[in-house]
Amino acid sequence: MAILEIKDVTSGYGEVQILWGANLDIEDGRLTSLVGANGAGKTTLMRTIMGSIKPWQGSVIFQGQDISSLPAHAKAEMGVVLVPEGRQLFTDMSVEENLEMGASPKRARANVKQNLEFVYEMFPRLKERRAQKSGTMSGGEQQMLAVARGIMAEPVVLMIDELSLGLAPVLVLDLFQSLIRLKNAGLTMILVEQNVQMALAVSDYGYVLAQGQVEIAGPSQDLAENEHVRSAYLGH
Amino acid sequence: MDFLFTSILDGLMLGFVYGLAAMGLTLIWGVMNVINLSHGPIISLGMFGVYLLFTFLGMNPYIALIFVALFGLLLGIVIYFVAVNRVIDAPHLSTLLATFAVAMIITGLGTAVFTASPRNVDYSLGSVTIGNATIPVTRIVAAVLSVLITAGLYLYLHRTRSGRYIRAVANNRSAAELMGVPSVRILALSFGIGTMLAALAGGLISTLFPFTILAGGTYELKSFVIGVLGGLGNPIGALFGGLILGVLEGIIPTFMPATWVPVLEFGLFVLILLVRPQGLFGAKKS
Repeated sequence: MAILEIKDVTSGYGEVQILWGANLDIEDGRLTSLVGANGAGKTTLMRTIMGSIKPWQGSVIFQGQDISSLPAHAKAEMGVVLVPEGRQLFTDMSVEENLEMGASPKRARANVKQNLEFVYEMFPRLKERRAQKSGTMSGGEQQMLAVARGIMAEPVVLMIDELSLGLAPVLVLDLFQSLIRLKNAGLTMILVEQNVQMALAVSDYGYVLAQGQVEIAGPSQDLAENEHVRSAYLGH
Repeated sequence: MDFLFTSILDGLMLGFVYGLAAMGLTLIWGVMNVINLSHGPIISLGMFGVYLLFTFLGMNPYIALIFVALFGLLLGIVIYFVAVNRVIDAPHLSTLLATFAVAMIITGLGTAVFTASPRNVDYSLGSVTIGNATIPVTRIVAAVLSVLITAGLYLYLHRTRSGRYIRAVANNRSAAELMGVPSVRILALSFGIGTMLAALAGGLISTLFPFTILAGGTYELKSFVIGVLGGLGNPIGALFGGLILGVLEGIIPTFMPATWVPVLEFGLFVLILLVRPQGLFGAKKS
């Protein structure tokens, strides 16, 4: 069953339309990847789902309920959580305070301790640096913190916008391994990635976005073998 | 030498209160990048709040402060929703004009009701003598309360959930929204706390000096100097900025005419802006 449905969504910034009727069904318990060229509308789609920008038309249905017009903070309360592009950490706060901020939704407050232990165990580097100001850490550590902060919210759907952008290959592998772990734990996730090969390798299902619409959709393995996807996004 | 000691001590006492007066201004700037031009008139309202409760209800001025604080908090939240919320994302000029309009309204109504004639809170706790310096106890109490309120603010911002939300919104408003923080409510609360601090400072000042409904303006100007000294956006730095200004005001008149005080203060203001615009104690990075 689809836990999150995006129906004919159009949106953009000011006069500029970016999404031209996007349709996606996010299935419960799956890792869904969202790939496409720069400017295809991936980040805009994430921000529209989250409510940082309002959809112009169409609807976002979460667990059967139309949440299209809710503000971002209300969606976070419900369990729709975004790890935003560019991390957007609280740079003046310590690592641990960032994680505590992640646990702001009421639904996440009861288990802060266990969740902290869980993310520290997943990213031991963060535990070592728990008292450090997050803005002074390396890019990879900041990305770990951004993901960990998202997990602290006890998401029903966790959306990660650009997990690997600008990170060293070793770190990228680490982060993808964490994703697989979360997937195996049953978490529903949407992964926006410019590293198409990696994204399709770890995800169950994939959407290729082009010019603000879904161009191709299908099981990730099929997409990885698709002639068009191979030539356009995988470079062979 | 004794005279200098007295002046410094006097300046220090006053400096804590100046710091408190500036704290609200710098908190609001730090959280939402709004220069609150209604800061001075709200300081005046704090003075009149204590004055009215003391004169007409016979309330102890320090008890009256509690009511003044509550009034300041609520007034700030109202001002935020009426004048600031709609223009919060607009260029700075819009929020400057909006808060300036609030200042004009408060000053206009205040002058109509209270006239511009001077008042004072006729309350004394005697004085103590330290060395050759004689200090009114009300000054000591005002200084101690200012420090306690500052400590309270620090603990609130660092030890409570809503305090953490305020710091998060100050640091990255859209990220705070993503974490489930209703940022408009937090901005309104921050504005309320900023005006509460201004009203409290006004209330304390009313126990020290005579004042008029226009007196807050002087402290608003001092608050700008203090804010820049301590780093705009750093409320705790404001306390140290206040101390520096207080001591300067104590010392300067011992060797030159007191009329030079504002000249030197604002000279310092310009100098700090030129050489260390982030303030002596560091400001919020934006």
